[in-house]
Amino acid sequence: MLQNTPGETSTEADELRFAAELSRSFASSDNVEATVRLALGNAMQALKVEAGSLFLVDEAAGDLVCRASLGPNSIEGLRVPAGHGIVGRSVSEDRVEAVEDVSRDAGFFASADAASGFVTRSILCAPMKVGGKKPIGAVEVLNKKNGLPFDLRDRDILQVMGNAAALAIMNARLADQLVEQERIKRELELASEIQRSLLPPADPDLPIQGINRPIREVSGDFYDYFALPDGVIAFCLGDVSGKGMNAALLMAKTAALFRCLGKTIRAPARLLSILNREICETTSRGMFVTMLAGLYDPASGLLRFANAGHLPPIVRKPHGGFRSFEASAPPLGILRDVAFPEEEMRLENEMFLVFSDGVTEYRYGDREELGPEGIDMLLGLSEGKPLHDRLEGILTELNSGGWRAKDDITLLAIDDSLAGQIWRRVPSIASAESRSDFMFGLTIPAEADRLKLMRPVLAAAGKAAGFSDDEVADLELAASEAAENIILHAYGEGQRGDITLAVHRLEDGLMLRIRDFAPKVDQAKIKPRPLDDVRPGGLGTHFIRAVMDDANFIPLPDGEGNLLELVKRRKKD
Amino acid sequence: MAVAGITESEGRLIVALEGEIDLEQAGAVRRALLDALKKGRNVLVDLSQVTYIDSSGIASLVEGLQVAKKQKSDLALVAVSQRVRRVLELARLDKVFQIHTDLAAATAGTIPGGAGTSGN
Repeated sequence: MLQNTPGETSTEADELRFAAELSRSFASSDNVEATVRLALGNAMQALKVEAGSLFLVDEAAGDLVCRASLGPNSIEGLRVPAGHGIVGRSVSEDRVEAVEDVSRDAGFFASADAASGFVTRSILCAPMKVGGKKPIGAVEVLNKKNGLPFDLRDRDILQVMGNAAALAIMNARLADQLVEQERIKRELELASEIQRSLLPPADPDLPIQGINRPIREVSGDFYDYFALPDGVIAFCLGDVSGKGMNAALLMAKTAALFRCLGKTIRAPARLLSILNREICETTSRGMFVTMLAGLYDPASGLLRFANAGHLPPIVRKPHGGFRSFEASAPPLGILRDVAFPEEEMRLENEMFLVFSDGVTEYRYGDREELGPEGIDMLLGLSEGKPLHDRLEGILTELNSGGWRAKDDITLLAIDDSLAGQIWRRVPSIASAESRSDFMFGLTIPAEADRLKLMRPVLAAAGKAAGFSDDEVADLELAASEAAENIILHAYGEGQRGDITLAVHRLEDGLMLRIRDFAPKVDQAKIKPRPLDDVRPGGLGTHFIRAVMDDANFIPLPDGEGNLLELVKRRKKD
Repeated sequence: MAVAGITESEGRLIVALEGEIDLEQAGAVRRALLDALKKGRNVLVDLSQVTYIDSSGIASLVEGLQVAKKQKSDLALVAVSQRVRRVLELARLDKVFQIHTDLAAATAGTIPGGAGTSGN
């Protein structure tokens, strides 16, 4: 606090004390509401008036709003049209207005008095502004308590005060904005975290991997995959138009719908149709989603997909080079009744890649966009590495100097050559025999008309293993019976799936592993029939046990299907 | 197709089967046998051209035999190969079915399952 010093007049001391008080209190005030009250209180105290009010320009509405009002009657909240009243004139003409007798000023905004019941005699009004900018409002004081008119000194005090208050209000507004920005940032971080949790957890055992790098906190891109009970993997990758929060919310909705529908609908085209209708019905106009959805069977390499306006995927050969597909249908959310064509293929150790345009539109300086050729080239740098590392490698390569991202980056890859490894992993659950014992493996759809295709190959293997014709016939019979049981009982009516047969050579015979991908079968219910009963049920199981030396179910984790191991040894001479 | 043809000879219907009789063909075999039995005749099932049979095919033969017995007609097997016989033995059905070595033997005997019957 400043002390009065001898030689100064009391009014000068008052003014200095007032100025010091003002700057100190403004400095400690950090919100607009508190600051306007403080400014007004200070002005009324300094000028010894009956009442006062502070108006701020409402940028949106274009008028002035009373944000603080002190005195016998409050007019807080009162709106004065721009240019109206003495306060409006002070702001629009950017000058201090002093009116000795308002009844003689045509501009006086009498409705303020009418609203408050206060009788205004004289007004002093000063615009509040910072530097050369337009005023942000005005502070006005009414009726000096001593009844005298406002003098020049009053004008100077109010003008200084108005500018000081303007600065304080601007600061408080900035502080408010910072707080708001901080809040939005925290919310975005939270949204980003939730979004990441919608992506599937990376599973190094699956032959499918994805990555997503949003350019902002939240992303309009997404991907998902999950294994169905028979081992088939459902997957999708989508890109919502636009960026930011509305895109992120539509992304969350689409991803949730896919995860729910994808577990029951085993036709990518039909799934996209249902999603499309849902998004058309409930999404704000102008937003749409490009999306590719598919099914991949790691056991057979079969892949089916449908594409709603998304970039064509590529199929990359094991050591580079790729083929692409035509994009054929519009994005989701545009036309309600659209059919989405389906593509079907069998991957032969190839890689199936889906990506968002954020990847292909990457540019190096002013050069051409990366394109699918660039993805193929970048994957060539990481042959032999784990799939997820290879996708990360693409990002690392893009981030290393010169490349500019414009959009979210999302990649999903299925590596069929890994699926082979995973299938071979399964027999290792049952025994530690080396791979050199492995003669061949094959996959047939669980259909009655495919059994005859399996038998000749097995017969050839039996002959090669030194079995007699009768024993070879036994092998064919046992394998067929096992497959028929799978068709009739494991998959059952209306269910489709595959049967895999793996044949291993033993020192004195053969081992057959026959697997399905159906829900777990209760082994206790599988019993050979009593032989005095002529009814056919259970006969197949009886045949298997009769002609093979060993027949055992190997326990698999839930959801991995059923695995039957059969062993036949050569008869000793 | 598993059912090569149906012919009539001396009051019996001869259902000739061929190829591999597994889950895929068992339904057709079953229908052929039941159709033949519906005509009330004694039925001979010619298995000479059958190269493979498993429990599905056996089930069709068993069902045919059960229907035949119920309606007091007969269903007998003819020309059973070593391979088919092995499967019948595994099912312990080799004694349940009448088995004739060939069609001549099957039609020669006035009493089916009599002199021409080949069993173990």
